[in-house]
Amino acid sequence: MNMKITSTPAIAIEGLEQSYGHKQVLRGLDLTVKRGEIYALLGGNGAGKSTTLSALLGFIVPQAGTVRVCGIDPAADPRGARATMAYVPENVSLYEHLTARENIAYFLALADAMRGRDAIEGALTAVGLAEEAWDKRLSGFSKGMRQKVAIALALARDVPVLLLDEPTSGLDPRAVLEFNRLLDAAREREVAVLMVTHDIVSAVDIADRSGFLGQGRIEEEREASASGPRFDLNALHDRYARAGEPA
Amino acid sequence: MSAPSIWSAEARLLLRSGRNLVALILLLALSSAAVWAGIAEVEHQHATIKRVEAEQVRDLAAVAEANAGPEGDAGYNAYYAFMLTQGPPPPLAFAAIGQRDLQPYVLRVRALGLQAQLYDSEVYNPELALPGVFDWAFVLIYLLPLVVIALGHDLVTGERETGRLRLLLSLPGSGLWRRRVGLRYGAVLAALGLPLVVGGIVMVAPVSGIAIMLLTAALYCGFWFGLAMLIGASLRTSATAAATMIGCWIVLTLIVPTLANATIARTVPVAKGIDLTLAQREMVHHGWDIPKEETFERFFVNHPEWRGKEEFEGRFHWKWYYAMHQVGDEAVAADVAAYRASLARREELTKTLGFVLPGVGTMNVLHRLADTDIEGQLAYQDSVAAFHKSLREFYYPYLFEDRMFTQADFRRIPRYEARHSTGTLALGSLGALGLLGLLALWLGSLRIARSGIGSRSKGRGPGMAAFGKLAEITH
Repeated sequence: MNMKITSTPAIAIEGLEQSYGHKQVLRGLDLTVKRGEIYALLGGNGAGKSTTLSALLGFIVPQAGTVRVCGIDPAADPRGARATMAYVPENVSLYEHLTARENIAYFLALADAMRGRDAIEGALTAVGLAEEAWDKRLSGFSKGMRQKVAIALALARDVPVLLLDEPTSGLDPRAVLEFNRLLDAAREREVAVLMVTHDIVSAVDIADRSGFLGQGRIEEEREASASGPRFDLNALHDRYARAGEPA
Repeated sequence: MSAPSIWSAEARLLLRSGRNLVALILLLALSSAAVWAGIAEVEHQHATIKRVEAEQVRDLAAVAEANAGPEGDAGYNAYYAFMLTQGPPPPLAFAAIGQRDLQPYVLRVRALGLQAQLYDSEVYNPELALPGVFDWAFVLIYLLPLVVIALGHDLVTGERETGRLRLLLSLPGSGLWRRRVGLRYGAVLAALGLPLVVGGIVMVAPVSGIAIMLLTAALYCGFWFGLAMLIGASLRTSATAAATMIGCWIVLTLIVPTLANATIARTVPVAKGIDLTLAQREMVHHGWDIPKEETFERFFVNHPEWRGKEEFEGRFHWKWYYAMHQVGDEAVAADVAAYRASLARREELTKTLGFVLPGVGTMNVLHRLADTDIEGQLAYQDSVAAFHKSLREFYYPYLFEDRMFTQADFRRIPRYEARHSTGTLALGSLGALGLLGLLALWLGSLRIARSGIGSRSKGRGPGMAAFGKLAEITH
């Protein structure tokens, strides 16, 4: 499973600190994700998961510490860093007035990532969106279908880093399985995937490593087992419940 | 997706939104209706002038037949022969009617007192507060901002509310907001300007005039889009952005101009024109009660060339009668000058106000260009006064030298020649409007850019931080 993981971290966060007003959200966060690795960042509300994503996307300038994406500092060169990342937000909302195909083409254009018709259709095929839906407007799509379009967009961008914010939220079990297959494929292509989630079950199904974010840092990190159950779900759940407490 | 197709995708996004489409179609319909109404008004004024001209020919023929001949008396002719003066609509009046629906554009004058004939209706300045006639200028000044608000208030907030903003901001591309504002700006100008261009072709209006009107509209439209960017980038929700912009519209186009108009009216009181008429008539009526010598003495002050020719037999003579009217005009000359000075002062204050209020500035530019403002109306009055003076100068030798007035003389009565339109480019007002428009656009862009820098360095909430990244997509 981890054959494709390389030693060079695509995502490297060291000693990241961030506060909003008097509230310190991150207190020296260290996190690395290698190419071909799927990392599940777990944590409760307010643990700092979204802030971590914001720092990676260059939305905030770290108050302390360093952030690098493919060696690029997103705060110093946000456009350069973003060119290496595809981000799928929690509540996927594309343009209702455009078709699936038009949406992808449009967002690719916004990302300065010109792709041909074949690449777009390939991405739509990869995410399992029925062909008859490609040229329909998104206004009639279910949440799962929209999620697929957003992921197809991320795939079509063909970048080395994928940031997923609660990717399985609201998806039915079948859609989650399909989604996991896509992540498998991404791993095969040596894409570094950081998924931020509350959903322990989906995380253990696919992640190579998982980390609990509590008290502004990774409190505990676990690696998937190469044999037998990948993670001890009971232990993970117990740890999740105690997130923010001393390990 | 190539550069042209990203524009076409943006156009699809714009036009597939029912609200945007309705707003643009409505603007196109209103602009078309306004141009049509303007053309109809201009055609009506032309038709009126033509009708009066035909009546005038018949009227003069009757006077000539009755009073002119071997035994003709110049006094009778001067009394009964009303001469036509007309101010035909200038070529651009169809787009900015201004004062033309309020003030007379046809006046029939004779050699009696001028002031009593000039002010059959009042000259006043309603352009600050009153919406006035429904013309293209009205649609531009009062209705276009509402369309801009409909299209522009949620440019940013709408993306946030639908959850797309973080995704958009996570992309490395650039120029999103510039394209979106530019596209909406172009669509609004096209919907507004197309009927004007068609109207200009139909009315054979000067191309330069139409071009300046379009430029004025572009600057005014820029002001409102700049404001939309400024407000949209500063507020969190579409509802508050829309409410704030509507508030700006009410304040900038209705409340402040109304208050300013009231202030100007209070600061610069203007006597009514009808008061001049009454004052002149009072003088004439008084002339019947005083010795004729006294009237002649007053008359000779300004017309000494007729001294020694005032003698006549009997109780009445036309030369005394016309001298009395002339004295009546001259007696109110100071009041007339004060009245005109007050109007000019009000006009000046209105122009100054237009330097800071884009709606007033736009109106000033359009009405001056179309020659339908107070200045144009006063120019028509001046031309009537000059013509009236020529009438008096024509008749006085007949009256004071007791010359017969023949048919040949009748044909020599001066005829009024309509003045040429004196519409000009109000460069100062246009420049100020340009500055306001560019300033608003610059501030709108700056607000987006600044919000990005601030949120990134100060570590505000993630939402604000994401919002702040608009800067990098914008620039």
